[in-house]
Amino acid sequence: MSVYGLLFDYEYCTNCGSCQVSCQEEHDYPVGKTGIKVFTDGPWKIDDEFWNFNHWPIVTDLCDLCADRTAEGREPICVHHCLSNIITYGTVEELSKELEVKPKQFLVIPQFNPNATRGEFVSRGSRHVSAAADVQGTGAATYATHRHDTKIGELDENEGTIF
Amino acid sequence: MSDADFYKRAQVVKLKTLSDVNDIGKPWRYEENGLTVTRTSPWSPPGCHPVGCGLKLYVNDEGRLVKVEGDENNPVTQGRLCPRCIALKDYVYSPARLLHPMKRDREDRGNADAWEQIGWDEAYAIIKENYDRITAQYGRESIVIFAGTGREGGTFAPYGTMCFGTPNFCYTQSGYACYTPRLAAIAYMAGTTYPEWDYAGALPGRWEDERYDITEVLMIWGKAPLESNPDGFFGHAVIDSMRRGTRLIVIDPRVTWLAARADIHLQIRPGTDTALGMAMLDIIISEDLYDHDFVEYYCYGFEQLAERCATMPPEKAAEICGVPVEKIYAAARMYANANPGAIQWGLAADQKTNGMQQGQVTVSLMAITGNLDAPGGQILPGTGAGHNEAGFGFEEGVGEELFSKMVGLDKYPAYCMIILNAHADLMLHALETGEPYPIKMGFYAGNNLLSCTSQEPQRWRDAIQKSLDFCIGFDTFMNPSIQATCDIFLPLKTVAERDGTVFTHYAPCTVTAGFMHKAIEVGDCKTDYELCYELGHVLRPELWEKAYAYRSAKEFMEALRLGERQNGEFFDKVAENVVCQIPVDYYKYERGEMRQDGQVGFATPTGRVELWSTAFQQFGEDPLPYYEEPMYGPVSPMLMRDYPFILTTGARTTAFFHSEHRMIPRLRELCPNPITEIHPNTAKKLGIVDGQWVRISSPFGSCVQKAKVSEIVDEKTIHSQHAWWFPEEDGSEPNLYGNFRSNINNLLPNFKVGKLGFGAPNKCFVCNVEPIAESYDTDMDLMWEKFGKLV
Repeated sequence: MSVYGLLFDYEYCTNCGSCQVSCQEEHDYPVGKTGIKVFTDGPWKIDDEFWNFNHWPIVTDLCDLCADRTAEGREPICVHHCLSNIITYGTVEELSKELEVKPKQFLVIPQFNPNATRGEFVSRGSRHVSAAADVQGTGAATYATHRHDTKIGELDENEGTIF
Repeated sequence: MSDADFYKRAQVVKLKTLSDVNDIGKPWRYEENGLTVTRTSPWSPPGCHPVGCGLKLYVNDEGRLVKVEGDENNPVTQGRLCPRCIALKDYVYSPARLLHPMKRDREDRGNADAWEQIGWDEAYAIIKENYDRITAQYGRESIVIFAGTGREGGTFAPYGTMCFGTPNFCYTQSGYACYTPRLAAIAYMAGTTYPEWDYAGALPGRWEDERYDITEVLMIWGKAPLESNPDGFFGHAVIDSMRRGTRLIVIDPRVTWLAARADIHLQIRPGTDTALGMAMLDIIISEDLYDHDFVEYYCYGFEQLAERCATMPPEKAAEICGVPVEKIYAAARMYANANPGAIQWGLAADQKTNGMQQGQVTVSLMAITGNLDAPGGQILPGTGAGHNEAGFGFEEGVGEELFSKMVGLDKYPAYCMIILNAHADLMLHALETGEPYPIKMGFYAGNNLLSCTSQEPQRWRDAIQKSLDFCIGFDTFMNPSIQATCDIFLPLKTVAERDGTVFTHYAPCTVTAGFMHKAIEVGDCKTDYELCYELGHVLRPELWEKAYAYRSAKEFMEALRLGERQNGEFFDKVAENVVCQIPVDYYKYERGEMRQDGQVGFATPTGRVELWSTAFQQFGEDPLPYYEEPMYGPVSPMLMRDYPFILTTGARTTAFFHSEHRMIPRLRELCPNPITEIHPNTAKKLGIVDGQWVRISSPFGSCVQKAKVSEIVDEKTIHSQHAWWFPEEDGSEPNLYGNFRSNINNLLPNFKVGKLGFGAPNKCFVCNVEPIAESYDTDMDLMWEKFGKLV
């Protein structure tokens, strides 16, 4: 089965916010929750002439690639509304080829709510079964962890004295 | 060509990212998965400049709007949308929205709890009673229409001319510091209107149309098109063009995202643009980089312009503007050598007293490089273009005698006549003094002046409260202006609830014509044209029944917008196209298509683009551009001792349209607090850390905003956002939704306009900044609690 993802051409992300608001509207998320949001780095000076100033749309753990829409053959809603038209939906195979065509792109395969996806904890079961035995006492309590070639740190059961 | 052929369904240009399962080719209304889908091309409300982005409105069988999506059939927006329309459902069904008329006693102005819901009949009766009383005593000129921007109401001149019959339709920003100064400059110099950058919007097939040449160099000058979709331009067309190879020159005091990607960024001191433009002209002329043929055949006053610009050598301009002189040379050469080159000139041109001169240098640059009316250069409207909004119904409704009483007409005829508007500053003066005559009644047409449009807002509030006996607000939501000053509230329909038209760029130079279709009904609201029609009949029945005699409100809209009177049938027919591209043509001046008389050349007294302007001279202004220092700035060192920073204001975000949308939680989340940008070194010096609240002050007042410490501005410059109020707070006076707490207009003056009455120093002022201990951070949980649950 093909793996689907989103290709972002962040060279042209302008931080318009359309992806985030689209996602919240599509999935009816309240403020504070979204499947995609934009992070900013800059502007800061690279040198006297050039600036670094990039925005990065990043999918969150609530991105399901608009499963309902893509099931109908439509593109995810952020792809539809992106003002700079920088998001492409497709198979990793197709998108990888696009990724090679120009720099300043990245490819993401989101996972919806991964902690929920991995399910409840279930142990793998079968454990070691202990062998039956008749265990005898040593007659002395040890509360030191050095080798047993001195008596230091050993409690003599009979005398109750610590050396 | 019949008009029905003129409005043809636009050819779709599919985006590569759009799936093969899509809605291309769908009719204006269709069914899908049990929902009725209405395709529409919105203007307002919510406010926006008339871009007419394609929208699909999904309505369920209960008549409720359940989903909004971008319409891929629009050839310019292609399915893309900004957050504001994406969140349209939240706007339409916001629990804060007002859906019924209300009244309140005059003594209760400012009391948010005093409103009482009434019906339209009672509202009309109250308005009629006050109208008759006030006009009998003071005349119709005592009525003022407070016009705003972006909303259809903001330019709905028939409110003045036809409905109330007053000459005083008034955009309330000092010096009409928005768009109109630019319109005036090109009108005076070339007899045409706003020369938008040619982004192939009107061409079938868009960028691939064979008539189009991709713009090699786009000079973005004092404009933030991505955030503002200025004047109806789809801002992200700049991105589309960059991807096709367009290179940028950006002139901006801020390191905008576009500036960071420009080949040349001229980070000038705010307000010094005219000096820069003169220097660029000087370089282009002295290095012989201009279009000799266009200058010889189609320009007037080239020698004089050359001589004048020689007084501003690049070295001098570099010093004034605070940019390296090599960059000025490089920018001038790059623009002049581009084939084609284009300029997008923005609001910053209007927001200075020297702005008309900036208009002159800008138009001169476009002209002498041969880029006017050239593919990929600047598009110009031909003689057939334009919609006579301002003059519509004027003769019968106002007439010459009353027109002559327009406030400011005697002092600033250039201003008042170009857009048939009362002068903003002189209207404030009239409200304060009763001179030249008392102003007694007001109507807000898409304007929240106390939060957004007007400078010294407390002064405006006091003047309105004192002067007006009666005032009407017409809006989708309550806002501080209506809360503080109105006696009647009338509810306005949103784009989802109405039909109508949208012409990009406010009709002149239209690229697309769009049509709004009503998809839902909410409450008991009206559109601007419906209110104008109905209230017109109530107030002036004789005029509307006999002189205008429209058969329906729709026919009135049809006549106003489409020049037809077919009781809405013509509208219905062409509106099915939803969006149409308006036929465009180039080099019209060579074929006599720029003038009513059919002669070659331009519609000016000399028939040429007047680099030496006869119109400027007639109005008593210098016919050639000149540089003037911002009144408040380094020119007064004493002032700079107390206010050592240059203040520039009003950069937009995509979250809001000016003062709108603050109550839409998902939009507010994009920009929860009012932001002031400060350079890290300046912040360090002042003891301000990122995210701290600061007090910004000027000789006129102060406000508090949240500091964003960033190299986006230089060390001398402070940028502050505008139009902030807090709908989540107590609306009653004195708090008034916190309207005056973070309002940057507190710091800005009135009456500091240019010689022709245009322009105000809103983007080139002075200020001081200091850290404060308090925090006013927005509580987004409260926002969601209050406004998150739709009704």
